[in-house]
This record gives sequence, structure tokens and C-alpha cells, in this order.
Amino acid sequence: MALNTGKILRVNLSNGKVSTESIPESVAADFIGGRGYGIKYLYDEITPGVEPLGEKNKLIMLTGPLAGTMAQAVSRWMVCTKSPLTGAFARSVCGADFGAWMKFVDYEIIIIEGKAAKPSYLHLTTDGCKILSAAEIWGKDTKETQAWLNNKHGNNTRTACIGPAGENLVKYAAVVSDRRTAGRCGTGAVMGSKNLKAVAITAPRAVHLADPDTYNALAKEQVNIIKGNGGFLNHKEWGTTSTQDVTNAIGIYPVRNFRYGQQLGYQKIVGAEYRKLRVGDMGCYSCPARCGKVHTVTAGVYKGAHSEGPEYESIWAFTGPIESNSIEASIRADQLCDDLGLDTISTGNTIGFAYELYEKGLIKKSDTDGLELLYGKHEPMVALVKKIALRQGIGDLLAEGTKRVAAKLDKGSDVYAIHVKGMELPAYEPRGAKSQGYNYATASVGASHCYGYAAQDIFGAPFPHPTDRFDEGNADIVIFNQNGTASNECGVICAFAGGWGWMQLYGKMLAAARGIDVYKDDVYLAKVGDRMFSLERAFNIRQGLGRKDDTLPKRILTEPLHTREAKGEGQIVSHQDEFLDKYYSLRGWTKQGVPTEKKLKELGLGFAVKDMAVK
Amino acid sequence: MSAEINIPPVLQALVNGVSRINVSGATIGDCFKEMVKKYPQLSARLFNKRGDLPHGIQIFINGESAYPEPLSKPVRDGDKIYISHIVLGG
Repeated sequence: MALNTGKILRVNLSNGKVSTESIPESVAADFIGGRGYGIKYLYDEITPGVEPLGEKNKLIMLTGPLAGTMAQAVSRWMVCTKSPLTGAFARSVCGADFGAWMKFVDYEIIIIEGKAAKPSYLHLTTDGCKILSAAEIWGKDTKETQAWLNNKHGNNTRTACIGPAGENLVKYAAVVSDRRTAGRCGTGAVMGSKNLKAVAITAPRAVHLADPDTYNALAKEQVNIIKGNGGFLNHKEWGTTSTQDVTNAIGIYPVRNFRYGQQLGYQKIVGAEYRKLRVGDMGCYSCPARCGKVHTVTAGVYKGAHSEGPEYESIWAFTGPIESNSIEASIRADQLCDDLGLDTISTGNTIGFAYELYEKGLIKKSDTDGLELLYGKHEPMVALVKKIALRQGIGDLLAEGTKRVAAKLDKGSDVYAIHVKGMELPAYEPRGAKSQGYNYATASVGASHCYGYAAQDIFGAPFPHPTDRFDEGNADIVIFNQNGTASNECGVICAFAGGWGWMQLYGKMLAAARGIDVYKDDVYLAKVGDRMFSLERAFNIRQGLGRKDDTLPKRILTEPLHTREAKGEGQIVSHQDEFLDKYYSLRGWTKQGVPTEKKLKELGLGFAVKDMAVK
Repeated sequence: MSAEINIPPVLQALVNGVSRINVSGATIGDCFKEMVKKYPQLSARLFNKRGDLPHGIQIFINGESAYPEPLSKPVRDGDKIYISHIVLGG
């Protein structure tokens, strides 16, 4: 059985140099692939103090050892870099086909360095990589860009690109592929800072596996399990378009910039209402769930709006923050974000923040280009999405994200800026799901819901033990969720597919794909998750972050939650310091949140010890 | 056999905030029938028209999945049954 550790494509946009590198077996054994490779190479290659939007930052695209195969829901890909929002480690995961296409040209990693002198794009084939002029597509939206590239290079082309938001260095710009986005952390701004419009891949379908016979037998077993699994069937039916039914019912749907946990009249935006406008569904490579539910608005001011989505987070982003019950407006705003290349979560959160600033008189009509930012009014929200992407008027300020807007305005506005480490909170209220909240506080990338999703608090999942969702003492649960997510993102498997009953095969599939047997051991996989998370932490420590940054927003720590008719009225997060002490202790970090020498060596990360010694 | 059924947050709203219910029965299906007798409002959320669990519900017993036929799974004294919704993030 031949080893198959993957290859790296390295492109320097400053000098035009393109090279291919192999990945050492030791790196493959320790980090598996995907996000594991991402943090390993980023740690090795990004020195402290690198400016996120400067020439020395690197943009790393990664897929996993299972991508492009017949197995289902395992072909996702991601972007890792130093985030312009947080100054910390960034990882942003995406679906569609691009991950599989990376494998078809035999690359698991694309490292992009430097900055092109003029707008450019990369075109990859099995014959190599060319750096080409993007003059004709600079300024175009993501749909137009992909259509142009398909027209030029053929329909067997898949692309990851930025829209105008990335070109304009909006701090939370996304990288878009088909209609899916690597949305979080501002990876699109990093791509824009390099004058890189797109990476397009044209290739026939073929992948290398260390042990194809064993792998394909396992993949068949996986397919058989998934097709009868209730979780899969539910996901196929609804995607995540009905999660708001649950989160509103239990009072964790953030409303009016995280003041309420339930939206008035939320019955108007439940999954069944979105379904009335559903016209189809779309999916990722080799995944029959097709969870991207496509909606078209048929009447009213947004007639003709059409989007793959919104899914749960985007439904929330364009309803909850401004307390609007307009499904149609949410579809239009979602479409604009995908076209213009914006992260829906940070966009919606930042707009909700602007509405509160307006309510409090901290910004006025003269500041908002005449827009009246009144709760319930969705037209200004839709207008702001475009202004942000194009940095027009007040959009230029809001494009910086809540943390920087608050710093610029001052006037006590930081109380209303709902972010962790500079990245805006997503659609789960921390005061009503405390383990989810503490995941936000401690996640390497800032407030990400899917860095360690607390299904225990939100849906009553009893693994590794059940929780009381208001209990602040579940540091072990937060770590369990974060390490498990890290391990799964080596694959790179879909976060939803992890609940479809086949995960006992995951390690065996990794082993058959790579030819490295140790992956078969679930205990080892958990250790890899711990290793990745600790190295991400070391990266952040080296960049100057620490305990002071592991904090939920002031509002969450000081203002009681109002839940209207749901349980949880008056909840607050009040034991953050105790939680962090316990969390750091369980992780093997110091009281300041620095990984100890003992812990780093135990995880095989001895090379990072010297970087922690000065902290 | 007596067992404890743990109610997920979203269904607690239908049963006045109750998070655990003690029931008895030889199988998980029997236990659910008793629970629905006490709280009929749960019936529409736990059973489809054919009397099966809907796709969005997953059952665990003592921390292990009760898949593939959860309602037929035998129950022993002291077992803890967990109902969980299968919807994730977005």
C-alpha cells in the first residue's frame, strides 16, 4: 500500500514563481489533512506581527484526503490564513465542488504568497498552474466571474473567487464557490489584498488512494448507512431552513442586536413558511442531501430575488438583528451577499449593530446616507448590504466590522458591538446555551458557531454526557466539541454528515486513503484534534492574543436576556473567569491560556515551546 | 421496567418546562406511549401519521444511539432515554 500524503501547490504572486512540493509522512501522520495541514503550514510560515492584508500574509486553500472520492459529504474545502477581522488564526470552510476539483489536479494544499502587480487569477489543470490576467473580471460579481471563467476554460471548471467585497477589502469578505461561501474570518479580503480574483480548476475526475479496494468498500458501507439515517433524511428534507423553529421556541434566537432570545411573530419565518418559496435544491460534490434549498420571491418589492439559501444562519442574519419578519428581504439580502462576496453572519450582525447605534442616537440620518434604521424596516438593511460590499457612504465604515466601528465612534458604542476577538457572533444566544457561548469565547477564530457546536445544549444530544443549557461549568463539553470538530475537519467532512451514523468508518477511510494505519484509532483522532487546537492556540499566542481576548461581549456578561414567551428570562453569563480557569486547566494551558511545555511536548508540538517561553 | 425520559429544550416548552419524565414499559415505544398519555401535546411532535418517529428525532438510551429501530428497543430498570432533534446549525 503506497503512502498518499498529498501535494502542495505554492504560488508566489509577487515574482510569479510556481512550484510543487510533497508533504512529509510525519506531517501527514500528525495532522492528517485539511485544517490540520492548515494550522501546521500557517504556524511554520507566518511570523508574528504579519499584517493580515499585507504582502507577507499567506492564503492557504486546503481540501482533505477523502475529497473527490465516491464517499458522501467528504469533499469540503477551506481557507486558512491570518484573519483581518481578528488578527488570529482563520479557517473558513466551504462546500460545492471545488474541494473535489483540487484533488483532481492532485493538490490538497494551495499556498498563495505575495501580491500580484495587477488583478490576476490562477488557472490549474493537470498540466500545471498559470497566473493569468483578471482585468476583464475585476469588479464583476461572483456569479458573473464564474460564468466568465466557465466560458473561457470550459464547463468542467470549478472556481473559488471573490466579489467586489473582497476587492474592496471589506474585513468580512468571503471566498465564493458556485453559490457556497467560505464566509467567515474575512478570507475574501486577504484574497483581494493579493489582487487575486479567482482560482479556477479544469480537470477530469480522478483521485489517488493508497488502498482503493479497501477505501471503496468502506465508502459503499458509508453510503448504505447514510441513506437510511433519520438525520440524513431530515437534512435532505429541510437543510437548516427550520432551525429557527427550535431556537425561537427555546429563546436562543438573537433579536435586536442580542437583546432578546425570541422574535415577535417568529411563526411568520419558520421553516414551513420558507418552504412556500422553495423552488429547488442544490448540493455539494457527492452528497445526496442537497441541503441548499433554493428560494425565489414571486411578488412584492423583492420579486425576482433568487438564492440558494438562505440557510439558518443567513435566515437569522437578515431577520433577527433588525427584528424583521420578511422572508423575502432575507432572500434578497442573502442573494446580494453571495453575489458580492460577503459573510452573511458578520454582515447581518453589523447591520443590527448599526440599527442600535441609530436607535441610541450614536449615528444619525445624516450619517446613514438618509436611511432610517428602524427595527422591523428591512429596506434599509438590504440597501446597507450593497453599501458595505461597495464601501459606499456609511458602508465604508460598517465594512470594518463591529469592533472597529465601535473603536472609531467611541461614545460607549462598544457595549453594542457583539463580537469575540473582532468576529461577530452568529445565530445562537450565549445566555441561553452557555456551552455554545463559551465555545465562541474560546474558539481559535473568534465567534464561530461551528467550531465546537454545542448540540448538547441546543438539541439535547447526550454526548459525551447530557447538559443543563444554563450551566456554565461544562468546560469538558466545550473541549470535546472543539476537538471533535477539528478532527472531522481533517477529512474535510461536512459538519452535518457527522450525525448521519457512519462516523465509526471515518478513521478507517482516512487510513485507506492515506496509507497510515494509526488513523483507525479513535483515541488517536481525538488527540489530533487536541493537537490542532493547541497549535492554533500557540499561533494566536505568538500573534499577541491571550486570556484577555477569550471573552464574550459586554452585553452578554452584563445585561439579562429577555426571552419573551420562552424559558431563560433574565439569564446572564456570570462565571466567565471560573470557566476559563477550568477550561485552560483541562486543556493543559497556563492560567493565562498559554499551552504549557509539558502539554506541547505531549502532543508532539515541542517545536512551539520556544515561542511560548517569552509569554 | 421504569425509566427516565429526558426531554430536549424545544419540547420542554410543550410540557411546562419539565425536563425529565419517569415512565415504565418494556420497550422505548411503550415508555413513549405512557409519556404521551401524560402529555398528549407531545404526540404530534414524536410520531408521524404512521406512528413512526419523524426523521428529525433521534433517540438515545444510556448515551448510546437506539438506531435502527428505536421504538422496539428493550428497556431495563433505571435506563435513561434521551430525545434529541436532528437539526444542526447552518
